[in-house]
Amino acid sequence: MIHTENLSRIFQTDLIETTALQLVNLDVKKGEFVAIMGPSGCGKSTLLNILGLLDCSSSGQYFFDGTEVTVLSEKQRTLLRKGNIGFVFQSFNLIDDLNVFENVELPLVALGTSRSKRKKMVNEILEYMQIGHRKDHFPRQLSGGQQQRVAVARALITSPKLILADEPTGNLDSQNGEQVMQMLEKLNTEGTTIVMVTHSMNHAERAHRIINLFDGKIITEQVDRTFQPVYNLNS
Amino acid sequence: MFTHSFNILARRFRKDPVFSLATLLGLTLGFASFILLGQFINAMLSYDRCQEHYDRIYRVQFFMNQQDNRVQHSASVTAALSRHDLVGLPEIEEIALIHDVGDNNKNGIFLSADKEREFLTRWGFYADPSVFSIFTFHFTEGGPEKALSEPFTIVLSQSLANKIFNGKPALGKQIYFENKLVCTVTGVYKDFPDKSTWEPAYLLPMESFTAITGWKGYEDNYRAYSFMTYVLLKKNADPAQVDAKIHYAMKDYNEMHFPYLRPMSQLYLNPYFQPDFYIAIGLLIFNGLLILILSSINYVNLQTANASTRFREIGIKKTIGFTRRQLWYQFMAENLILAMISCIMAILLVRYVSPLVNRLMGGETLSTDYNYSLLMVVVVITALITGILSGIYPAYAISSFNPVKALKQKLIEEKQNGLSLRKVLVTAQFSIAIFLLVVGFVFYRQTHYMVNRNMGFDSEHVLFANIVTDKKGPTSTLRQNLMSHAEIVDVCHSDYIPFVLPGGADVNWEGGFPDEKTFIRYSQIGYDFVSTFDLKIVEGRNFSRDYPGDFDKCLLNETAIQTFGWKDPIGMKLDIRGRSFTVIGIIKDYIVFSVHNPLEPHFYRLIPDTISSNTIFSVRFKPGTERKAKEIVEREFQSFFPDDAFEFKNIQSRIQNENAVTEWRHLMKINLLFAVLSIFVSSIGLFGLILFYTRTKLKEVGIRKVLGFTGGQLYYTLASTFVKLLVISVVFAWPAAFYAYKSLPGANKYPIQIWEFLIATGIILLVALTTISYQIIRALRVNPAEIIKDE
Repeated sequence: MIHTENLSRIFQTDLIETTALQLVNLDVKKGEFVAIMGPSGCGKSTLLNILGLLDCSSSGQYFFDGTEVTVLSEKQRTLLRKGNIGFVFQSFNLIDDLNVFENVELPLVALGTSRSKRKKMVNEILEYMQIGHRKDHFPRQLSGGQQQRVAVARALITSPKLILADEPTGNLDSQNGEQVMQMLEKLNTEGTTIVMVTHSMNHAERAHRIINLFDGKIITEQVDRTFQPVYNLNS
Repeated sequence: MFTHSFNILARRFRKDPVFSLATLLGLTLGFASFILLGQFINAMLSYDRCQEHYDRIYRVQFFMNQQDNRVQHSASVTAALSRHDLVGLPEIEEIALIHDVGDNNKNGIFLSADKEREFLTRWGFYADPSVFSIFTFHFTEGGPEKALSEPFTIVLSQSLANKIFNGKPALGKQIYFENKLVCTVTGVYKDFPDKSTWEPAYLLPMESFTAITGWKGYEDNYRAYSFMTYVLLKKNADPAQVDAKIHYAMKDYNEMHFPYLRPMSQLYLNPYFQPDFYIAIGLLIFNGLLILILSSINYVNLQTANASTRFREIGIKKTIGFTRRQLWYQFMAENLILAMISCIMAILLVRYVSPLVNRLMGGETLSTDYNYSLLMVVVVITALITGILSGIYPAYAISSFNPVKALKQKLIEEKQNGLSLRKVLVTAQFSIAIFLLVVGFVFYRQTHYMVNRNMGFDSEHVLFANIVTDKKGPTSTLRQNLMSHAEIVDVCHSDYIPFVLPGGADVNWEGGFPDEKTFIRYSQIGYDFVSTFDLKIVEGRNFSRDYPGDFDKCLLNETAIQTFGWKDPIGMKLDIRGRSFTVIGIIKDYIVFSVHNPLEPHFYRLIPDTISSNTIFSVRFKPGTERKAKEIVEREFQSFFPDDAFEFKNIQSRIQNENAVTEWRHLMKINLLFAVLSIFVSSIGLFGLILFYTRTKLKEVGIRKVLGFTGGQLYYTLASTFVKLLVISVVFAWPAAFYAYKSLPGANKYPIQIWEFLIATGIILLVALTTISYQIIRALRVNPAEIIKDE
């Protein structure tokens, strides 16, 4: 699913050159649940952005589902991302001016799905995420946990191959955090590949594999041997 | 996508009504100004449009090649031209010969139903019955068939009939002319609309012309240029054909005069090939477009500024997989929706405002009773174009945000140094506002100047009346009686006074070639004309009762001397209307009848101290005694002319109502309206922009406050940014405004002064600083702790 070779990312401002990622070699298999850990500023989010095709590497190669991504234009990357990758953020990143239904619907709008089909799919996913009764509410009217469930619903609506979660539990209390973790685990067992950045060891341990980043480099990998790649899902 | 955009718009509007309203209102005012301008121009172009045969009506005019290569045009033609040369031309369907009743340039004629209540009435005409076939008359009493076919009949306009007969039916009733002649009313027609170049108050049959005026043989006279002629061409007839056929019609009598047809569509805007109106309209269109641009700039500024509050939305949409094009469409849709809403608001606004504007400006300044749908189509198209044009940049800017940065809300606003688009736009905005203000001033000052400048004669303390009488005899007793009052300074009689269009004639002068002629204004004045109007004799002497031979002498103005190229004019001779005159004095140039038009050569000959049938009497009074003087004058004249009707007016009434003055006043009002609107639009724009600016700077304000900065320093930082842009805008606005001033038509322009530019700039500065102050004070009242923690 994900394969990188010597991926580096250098940020340049007028005077300073910052190396955010340095020669990162990473493989994530289909159906895997990977957690990325590390201190602030170690490059976790940069890595996630590159994996999510939001940002480009400065050097190295990145293959997403077999496609060499580093040579693609912005437009091609957008098209590849659309429907294939779902994002969940720490700060939920719901659009304030749209209600729950409209927020979840957005990826389908981007895909150009018909209105009737959109309605059906959104209602289904909202029921699945147990938030259907709140579909006419606006984000500010919801609790943090509810907001994150909406965000997850939005990430899932297109049945993406990969979900990238950037500290999905960071802004939630333990109870709501636990709910979101259970949701992610459930998705994973149903076949979705997940890459999650987290500060919580507790949550990281529930992944198949933990990758520790420090100063832009992968320093250790703890592998959970119980994981066996699952094929023929989502394909 | 459309409903999505609409939803987002509506919700943003609810969330931030002030900013959204500023955005919307700026655009609305821009569109509204545009529509108002359209109505104004439409009103100017709609002159005479009420005529059914608008496209086929022509006025016969002629041009004369002048001595100094000038070409002069005139609509006063000879009757013989109409009666002989136009008759029988295959292109012409109808010809109407028309002549003023009395002299409409003066005060008019007294009409009365009972010899008691007399109405001084201008704009009466003798006319052929064919006027009814050429012009569109709507009869309310009687009909066109017999209206002007009998002698001593009269056809009244509805308003005049109502006035004279107190609203009762007029048909068959009798009307007294100057309490002498009696005419029978044979018809009443609806008044012509205000927007008519020919607006008769009443008509008399041309057949009675000789009987009433005593002028025999006018129909064969090729030298008396006091008639007007309108013709109706046949369908598809070519006016150029007629022009070619009549071009040399007058050559046996004056080889410099060439008649031609002028179409009705030009009679108001450009009757004599003087593009003055077109220049004014051009400037107005330019101003209207500027306001539209101004409001578009506002819009662009506000929308791009506002975009930064939508980083999250844009970031998420991009992350989710919206392509740039999809986002671009979304924002363009938003812009178009906003433009359409503004457009609808503007149309509604104008609907309610234009009657008010009309009332404010007097008359039908804006035309409202025309084909509304056409204007609406134009307006909607303009709104669409404006929406697209002013949406392109914000949509582009927004859709090209980097999603990662946008999500982190880390988008760097704009480079601190260097030319950012927003700075350019704000500068443009300032420039346009200053330009419009200065132009508004120019029109205001010019109009003021045309009325109040030193005319070169006493334009404030003279009462005058046109008296038509059968009385004969000397005027000396009248003069003596009047002069016995301390309030009266001087009295004179003449056939012309300033701001009454004088007649003219061709003149041949000593030193010119024997058959060389030029056009000169021709006036007949009494001994005391020069002193009554306080004119200056710069060389030679005035007419004097001590010189019995003065009836063969003449006075000239300075312009005439220049035209003839005379070095030593006193004693020179000239031939005019078949008589020879010797120059005895030069009158200093003064404004003869219009500040707007250049001075012409002017010739004055003497008339004796006796009453003539049609004379203007002028009385100069001591300053501050006008009311008393008027009483005295009316009393004395009443006893001297007991059988005649007259009405004394101050000469100011002529100056204020002179054509060029009224047109300038008209233009001034509309320009001032635009200037005020532009101030409104730019303050709204500034308000929004500064509101946004202070909001983004809230954190900075908080930190600064924590660090102990005062409001004054903050104010200075913010204000200096805008003041710098204002200074730059001056570089563009001032020369542009000066150029506009220079290109305005008119012979006598007031000297423009630097303070007008300074005041205009000052007003904009004040608007900017007030807005900044308001926002800064609001920003400062926020608790710094609140701002800083809001990360």
